[in-house]
Amino acid sequence: MILYEALAENKISVTEKCVEIADSCDLCGKCDYQCYFVNEMRPTKVMEALKNHVKNFINNGGEIKPTKDDAILTEIRKIVGNEWATNDDGITVTYSHDLSAISEPKMPDYVVMPNTKEEIASLVKLFKHHNIPYTMRGNGQNLLGFAVHEGAIMDLNRMKTIEFDEKNWIVKVGPGVAAFDLQKQAQKRGYRINAAEPAALVCANIMCSGIMSTFSTTYGINADNFVDAEFVNHEGSFFNLNDISSPNLYSYKNLEHKNSPGICVSADIRLHPVSEDERGILVPFETLNNALDFIKDCSVRHIGLALGIVGVEYISTFLSPTKKLASDIKNIFTEKLNIPWLVVVIGDKFAIRSIGEMGFPYFDERLFKALYLGLPSLKNAQWLELVKEFSDDEPYSYLKIKSFAEIFETALAPSAKSYSQEVDKELSPFFEKLFSRPEMTDILWLNTYRIMSTRLGRKKPFLPALLYLPIDKKLINEFCDKFRLIAEKYHIDNDFGFITPIDNGKRCIFEYDFFYDYNDPEEIQRIRQVGMEANMLIDEYSVKTGVVKGHPYVLYQGFCRKENLLYS
Amino acid sequence: MTLKNKPVIALTGATGFLGSHLMAGMITKGYNIIVFGRPANNESLKERIFRLLKWLGVDSMSDQVTCIDTDLSQDNLGISTAEYARLCSAVDSVIHCASDTCFSESKREKVMAANINNLEGILEFSKNSHVNFFHYISTAYVAGTGVTYCKETLSSVKTFTNVYEESKAAAENIISRFCDKNDIPLSILRPSIVYGDSQTGRSLKFNALYFPVRSAQTIRDIYLNDIKNNGGLKAAKNGIFIDKEGYLFLPLKIYLPYEGDINIIPVDYFVNATIKIIENCSINGIYHLTNPYRTTMKIVAKYFEQLMKVRGVEIIYGPMPDDLVRNPAEELFDRFIEPYRPYLSDNRVFDRTNTPLITDNLNPPEFTYDIFKTCMEFGIKVNWGASIFE
Repeated sequence: MILYEALAENKISVTEKCVEIADSCDLCGKCDYQCYFVNEMRPTKVMEALKNHVKNFINNGGEIKPTKDDAILTEIRKIVGNEWATNDDGITVTYSHDLSAISEPKMPDYVVMPNTKEEIASLVKLFKHHNIPYTMRGNGQNLLGFAVHEGAIMDLNRMKTIEFDEKNWIVKVGPGVAAFDLQKQAQKRGYRINAAEPAALVCANIMCSGIMSTFSTTYGINADNFVDAEFVNHEGSFFNLNDISSPNLYSYKNLEHKNSPGICVSADIRLHPVSEDERGILVPFETLNNALDFIKDCSVRHIGLALGIVGVEYISTFLSPTKKLASDIKNIFTEKLNIPWLVVVIGDKFAIRSIGEMGFPYFDERLFKALYLGLPSLKNAQWLELVKEFSDDEPYSYLKIKSFAEIFETALAPSAKSYSQEVDKELSPFFEKLFSRPEMTDILWLNTYRIMSTRLGRKKPFLPALLYLPIDKKLINEFCDKFRLIAEKYHIDNDFGFITPIDNGKRCIFEYDFFYDYNDPEEIQRIRQVGMEANMLIDEYSVKTGVVKGHPYVLYQGFCRKENLLYS
Repeated sequence: MTLKNKPVIALTGATGFLGSHLMAGMITKGYNIIVFGRPANNESLKERIFRLLKWLGVDSMSDQVTCIDTDLSQDNLGISTAEYARLCSAVDSVIHCASDTCFSESKREKVMAANINNLEGILEFSKNSHVNFFHYISTAYVAGTGVTYCKETLSSVKTFTNVYEESKAAAENIISRFCDKNDIPLSILRPSIVYGDSQTGRSLKFNALYFPVRSAQTIRDIYLNDIKNNGGLKAAKNGIFIDKEGYLFLPLKIYLPYEGDINIIPVDYFVNATIKIIENCSINGIYHLTNPYRTTMKIVAKYFEQLMKVRGVEIIYGPMPDDLVRNPAEELFDRFIEPYRPYLSDNRVFDRTNTPLITDNLNPPEFTYDIFKTCMEFGIKVNWGASIFE
């Protein structure tokens, strides 16, 4: 998409690589599947436009821009091989953006794909010698513009080694390993890792600001997630985190602008045991305060492996096959089902039983599946009015009816087929097949692989405000109110993201999201203001309370001890 | 009688079911009403009242209604001193109809706040207004449990089915003491379960009598949809099918603890009887607005089957066996009607000594199939209230 946009807007000329890219695509349509799932976009249409653009350019006698001779490129290629480095605009332009529209695009001079840590070390020395700035890049998942820069971009996607050391409960991963792939390998062996979103690279994630997820409730954050890591420093030398002489990356400084300690070329990630009876449930709440009490209570009592409060925007966006339905479902959740808040709980049978004994009704996996695949029927369900009135006296008491799942299934007639009717017609067969897979409606699997958060930005991309703070109802409500007021001042859509308790309920991770239209330059200006004011607010509370830590400060400190981050 | 001859009545609860119908009935009779209420859901009180008057077909008489934004929980009803004084001199009598009708114990604090704590403000207002009468809309069920004959006297019973009954009984006693102490003439009106208009079926609310019917209809529709659109496997699994005559066979055994009645009156009777009582009542009179005709759930079930083209609904009196396996429909129905169960087989008899005397022997109609049909068809037409104002 970036390439086509650059060509269509004459930002670059048609190059050799552009032709190669256009020719390599047979418009099979497979890339539409993932893209449509996440944000309802159809990249095949863009590829078709790209192919036509290149074809027309050639047919009209356009001159293909050859690759420029460049002495530095030659030296880079000596290190990584000819095919793994380029200065072709058709490639470099695709590295000029990341997921953020807030950061200014920056066109790199070179894109390099090293395969070993030794190659990285040599490249660092070379770039230092020629005074060329360099930036590491994983899958371009960063939301804040940290993965774009002039100079050289080192794309680490070739470095995908995964080596298990089961005796020591660790797995050594290369810097090109994505969270999904690692989790998959870990799961095959009966383990779990604490992972970020599926496409995020594990090492990059730690480097940036540390791994966090709903599993951070028990698995922790930052240094809790690894045992050791290897780096190439800015001189091109190696060091290991556990070397006595290495820089102390376990420390934490509350500073906004810090330098990267180097390039993480591998990390020994901790493996966690998995019990066979683990499953997921969703516990509904009428108020945020009730949900906060619940997660704090569970966390203090060590009930549940993973806990997270999600708002109705989050859950309706994830459950719905289309943006349109998401909007309808959001209203149904709030107006009819009276579920503005849900707590996702992953736990073993004892944890789930405890929650039942605590008196909280919940959606178990059967009900969740019915709700998910029955969503199109829910939209028009007449009986919701009755359920609403029925719940007035005792919220969600219908969930306590033993055979409610049976009735719920009868009423919604959930099926992958009916669910898939909602998507673009030509994609229906694929989605029917996809949603026939049991894991797609399995709360445990969806959280283990962090699929539940993947659709959050489908309506609009978002700028998250992330912070660590105590599970203090007054404080959290103040932040919600003030974030909302900031967003409203600039007419920016906004919503609660999630809250996950950490460290036995002493603190939590809180995300509040600001949504913006990346095609509207004026709105991008406004979201920048929102980001700035949100950070100022966090700073103000950080000073005032001494217990609030803003996530931007954690940048490049993802290796720090959580105790240093949270309590120092 | 001209408008000038009618007293000015302050009415609370005019946006509720009974209050709204009463307001419409009274302005039709020429009364001037001052509504004490609050805005809600981004609608001003005036907008809410006008919407109701329009729906009740009396919007042409809206000039007989004055809306005053009040908060019964605040000093001086939450209005300015000057406005309060002006209202005190304008009002001739008060009808206190506002009430929280929630039955749930979990909402005790809210119910008690609305039904008891909020009395102080309206009673003080009545005292300061030197009203001719304070009329309190209570409930027949202040009688409480363990009583078989319920007299038209203040209740001294201590046990109740739910917090609503308890709060209303306590409120009656508080009001009675206050009025006695301050020489305010008092009447207490005690309706039983009120359903829609017996002639038109119109109703603003669809709880109480409607709830079991709506629950059964919902269950019927779920299984009909399953049979018609989804192969009917779930229905078949539970012995549910469409018989040769096109009726849905829905095995629904409804257990009620003992044989008894459901005491129901239509809202048009409530309005007419209330107006007569207001016009003719004696000081400290208590009036049961109840139905002398017996209606049982067996009759309601029969009506339901006829109207909804369903068979298999069975009312069983007696305790439910502990080891009884309930089908999903029965389990859902049981849960749906649970708050109303004590009212569905009630063996209490309500004294009707005072009411006929003062209402010219006005009696509510017997609950016939035609009335049932009219009321339920109206409910279905407005999707049980969801599209009532569309």
